[in-house]
Amino acid sequence: MVHYIGVILDESRLAKIKGTPLEEKIQDLFGGQLKMLVVEVPEEKSQEILKAFDRARIDSRGFIEDLPVAFKRALFEEIAKAKSLDVIDKVLERLPEIQEAAKKESEYIPPPEIE
Amino acid sequence: MAKLNMPPPHGGELVYRVIEKREYAESMAAGAIEFDLKATTDPNGVPIRHVYREIISVCYGFFSPVEGSMTQNELERVLEERRLENGWVFPYPILLDVSDDDLKALDVKEGDRLLLKLKGQPFAVMDVEEIYKIDPKDVATRTFGTPEKNPEVVRQPFDEKHPGWMIYRCMNPNVIAGKWTIINPPKFREPYDRFWLPPAECRAVIKHVKKWRTCIAHQTRNVPHTGHEMLMKCAAYTGDIEPCHGILVNAIIGAKRKGDYPNEAILEGHEAVNKYGYIKPSRHMVTFTLWDMRYGNPIESLLHGIIRQNMGCTHHMFGRDHAAVGEYYDKYATQILWSEGIPSFGFEAPPNEVDKGLKIIPQNMAEFWYCPVCGEIAYSENCGHVKQKQKFSGSFLRGMVAEGVMPPKVVMRPEVYKAIVKWWKVFGYPFVNNKYLENLNKELEIDLAPMEIPKA
Ligand SMILES: [Zn+2]
Repeated sequence: MVHYIGVILDESRLAKIKGTPLEEKIQDLFGGQLKMLVVEVPEEKSQEILKAFDRARIDSRGFIEDLPVAFKRALFEEIAKAKSLDVIDKVLERLPEIQEAAKKESEYIPPPEIE
Repeated sequence: MAKLNMPPPHGGELVYRVIEKREYAESMAAGAIEFDLKATTDPNGVPIRHVYREIISVCYGFFSPVEGSMTQNELERVLEERRLENGWVFPYPILLDVSDDDLKALDVKEGDRLLLKLKGQPFAVMDVEEIYKIDPKDVATRTFGTPEKNPEVVRQPFDEKHPGWMIYRCMNPNVIAGKWTIINPPKFREPYDRFWLPPAECRAVIKHVKKWRTCIAHQTRNVPHTGHEMLMKCAAYTGDIEPCHGILVNAIIGAKRKGDYPNEAILEGHEAVNKYGYIKPSRHMVTFTLWDMRYGNPIESLLHGIIRQNMGCTHHMFGRDHAAVGEYYDKYATQILWSEGIPSFGFEAPPNEVDKGLKIIPQNMAEFWYCPVCGEIAYSENCGHVKQKQKFSGSFLRGMVAEGVMPPKVVMRPEVYKAIVKWWKVFGYPFVNNKYLENLNKELEIDLAPMEIPKA
């Protein structure tokens, strides 16, 4: 079964893919208040991801959730670099580095700068 | 339909076993055998329950008419038919369990008085009625049921992965039964203190301050998203000749798991809903009950009904997968209990239609989702756009929060998100992590004033 990973696009991420073919693939959620790219993940690769991150799980919509922020960040970097959603292999090549970064974020994530 | 009024407490009278006056407290404790209360831990040594939370909830009347640690006969009756010895419905074993070593060191017998200490201070006393042995695994399994014995709603045998089953499974094999009395009232720390409203006071506030004739309870262990808010608003349209006057949010505060939102953010997140006018404070109030959640779905819903009836609510909303984890119970187990009963658990009829049952009225609710066609948060029984629906996913929201993306306001109110960020800045993390757990397990939610007990 194919699973999915949603990549949320905030202002800065939207700017980084402006004018690329990715713009056409942006999905609107919640009446357009949230923009997202959806990456398809084949079964064997989603198993690999679930094995690498023990908190990750597949939710009722078939999305892989509770992934480390480092994973999501790397996924977007690869998408922006390749201007394509077909990047899951590239991300998996970076697994050791992502796992290392994920370890740090299990105890600390810097809070956002809002008042 | 006749107009409804606040129901009586479960069992007829509110339990209140708290001694405030120092001189009486000291005289009650003088000469008692001291025992330091300990957390129940899982095989890795992680605290998963602490009995002091049950002592507080019992003594302040949240669990009325229960008055203490159950005797063997009472335990059997609760496990067999979910009834106390006096016949009133009650779902869970409430037990003070001690290890073989502790029991030996205590050298206690029936009729003795125990002084229960917490954080190094005197906390409560109990007169020992009975000391008996349990098989924790057997208690755990009979508490939640099995697919064979309870085929109506149990879908999978309970095991180590179920946190509630583990609480009973990890209990010590000896039970000391007897009524508890708090002699050193706990001081709740900020921000818990603002939300601490024990049943007697909650009833008085509902009646005389809020002036609600009818009130619907909302169970929570989460920071509210707009799906929760819409559930509260819509469920509150039930009532009698008019919608419920009030909505009582009651958070269950107890042992935490990694990845949960911190208690502080849960309470202040719900508070933000009324503080910023999404549901006016004249109609919405946030409180909590101390209890290490057992995730018992229909069984847990009985306790929820009892707690909120004792707090003065006329109605209780129950959603799908109520207080559930995993797929041990049918998704609709709670709603089956409250609409038809579950005979194998002792309910030939719903718990509010049996003798010595509850008086609170259930409001079984289906789901809410965002529908881009309707352009609103829609109720699943209204909205026909099943293909376009966008479900609220708690883990999707958590992912957004962790990435530092402010959720759109149609999903989470900005002031609710700010409550998360406020505590994120305090703890350095938006969710419960090891450091949070270590601190909570050491500091608990309360402080106890120093107290000298005169020697007998
Ligand atoms: Zn619709």
